[in-house]
Amino acid sequence: MIGRYYWPTLAAVLVVFAALPWIAPPVLIQFGTTTLLLATLAQSWNIIGGYAGYASFGNSVFYGIGGYGTAVAMVQFNLPFGIGLLIGSLLAVVFALLLGLPVLRLRGHYFAIATLALAEAMTGVVSNLDIAGRNIGLVLPLRKDDAFFYELSLGLVVLVTLAVFWISRSRFGFGLIAIREDEDAAGVMGVNTTLYKSTAFALAGLFSAMAGGIHAYWITFIDPASAFDITLNVMMIIMAIFGGAGTILGPLVGAVLLASISEVLATEVSAMASLFFGLVIVVAVIFMPRGLADLTRRFPGLGWRYFRENLRLHRL
Amino acid sequence: MSLLLQIIVNGILLGGLYALMALGLALVWGVLNIVNLAHGAFIMLGAYVSYYLFTLLHVDPFAALPLCMLSLFALGYLLQRNVLNLLVRAPMFNTLLITFGIDVVLTYLAQIVFSADFRVVNPSYAGSNFTLLGATVPLVRALAFAIALGLTVTVWLVLAHTRLGRAVRACAQNLLAARLYGVEPRTVYALTFGLGAALAGAAGNLYGVVSQINPYIGDALTAKSFAISIIGGLDNPLGVVVGGLFLGTLESLTSLYVGSTYSDVASFGVLVLVLILRPKGLLGRTT
Repeated sequence: MIGRYYWPTLAAVLVVFAALPWIAPPVLIQFGTTTLLLATLAQSWNIIGGYAGYASFGNSVFYGIGGYGTAVAMVQFNLPFGIGLLIGSLLAVVFALLLGLPVLRLRGHYFAIATLALAEAMTGVVSNLDIAGRNIGLVLPLRKDDAFFYELSLGLVVLVTLAVFWISRSRFGFGLIAIREDEDAAGVMGVNTTLYKSTAFALAGLFSAMAGGIHAYWITFIDPASAFDITLNVMMIIMAIFGGAGTILGPLVGAVLLASISEVLATEVSAMASLFFGLVIVVAVIFMPRGLADLTRRFPGLGWRYFRENLRLHRL
Repeated sequence: MSLLLQIIVNGILLGGLYALMALGLALVWGVLNIVNLAHGAFIMLGAYVSYYLFTLLHVDPFAALPLCMLSLFALGYLLQRNVLNLLVRAPMFNTLLITFGIDVVLTYLAQIVFSADFRVVNPSYAGSNFTLLGATVPLVRALAFAIALGLTVTVWLVLAHTRLGRAVRACAQNLLAARLYGVEPRTVYALTFGLGAALAGAAGNLYGVVSQINPYIGDALTAKSFAISIIGGLDNPLGVVVGGLFLGTLESLTSLYVGSTYSDVASFGVLVLVLILRPKGLLGRTT
């Protein structure tokens, strides 16, 4: 799979992305920051959803906790951003470990729904906390430096992708894949499933929380509705699946592609962008359920038969 | 004491409607193994059908009930027949995603066609109420409650005692065996999904009478229907009645004693607890 040009191409793409603040207009940099944060979320979801096969609908909880941890530390305790981000991330990891233990015992639909319910419940809890500004939210100190936030987000994407790269070729990652394919068999083979699943959940939580922290400081405002937004959750899942869950670059490609298309459409009519998102999901799930990564791998050999095969495999 | 009684009556009335909302979701989930994330959007569409029949043609909302059910049945039947049947054998996650896609499409189509304004179905008798055991009971809520329970029991009887009901249950138990006995699953699946959508349409009709509607009410209603299906369990259609009444009363009591902002925390907290302690539902058999 890794050809001669793989690493040079990757390095070139990274250099272009890193140089963007010096060559692109401000609007593009802001769009880039949003996209990179979404890519981080899609990639974090990939760890628990793509590799471990646990369809979490609650990753936005970590994003929200990261954002709120950072905001509360900076606003209520006047701590610097770095420390706030650290606190937010640690909170999310602790939360993931504590809640992961009971929730990760559930499988399939039940896990998906329990995590969704957690996201709903957290919105309620945070809107009642005085320290978090109740349902009005918090206003963070202003830092007007789009390039800084852009590079920070880019660094985070690289970090989470390196983590996924390590996972994909480590004993830990193989353990996760074994759990995804057959959890009972994995357990019998000596994989400590509880430990592996919790670690994957905590890792996903860590990176999502960092994205949340950066986002809160960037837009200088956080409130329960936007921090624990369920749409965000669904976006990251769709981006990961569209690109290819369980692959290293798939979620990133999915995030950049879908975010760009939706941005272009949103300039016309905002409802149109969402409508398009829905249609893409429907069509993609039917014709390419394993994402772009699988499409690029098998389409050259199969041609249009690829789509027919997918249809035949799943229809009644 | 009378306040407590009033709160419990409110909760029970709300719970009946909740039960009807969840019934369609639980039916489709139990039989087709599809968790239909577009269920709330179906409820929303049902409410709009009733709203437009009322404002444009002055049809009484309760008389419009069969029309709401029929139109949503057609939508559900066509969706399952032409789209969802294409991935019945796909992994569970794909069906979850595609119904989410349908939910998004329906919600934003509704926003474009109906606009995002709040609407309300307001028949002349909307404000009237009567007294029962010292508690005030709004007339429309009582009617909605009665219709919801009636429909739930009807569905239960249909599933238990008719030929179609047996075919549906056979598909849920063992698809291969059902096929060998001459059940055509494509049609039965489409009929079941259509029935689920029709129940959502009925719930939407009643919801429009007791509450305000806009294109975005769907997601919260889907989440609530989920919670009720899980709390009640999928084994038994009467489970959703227990789940609905339980959740309705719980929400009313939480609003009174803890604060209305906590009612969602309470219901979803209970959901997580039930999932962990009794994953087959309150009434379900533990394995």
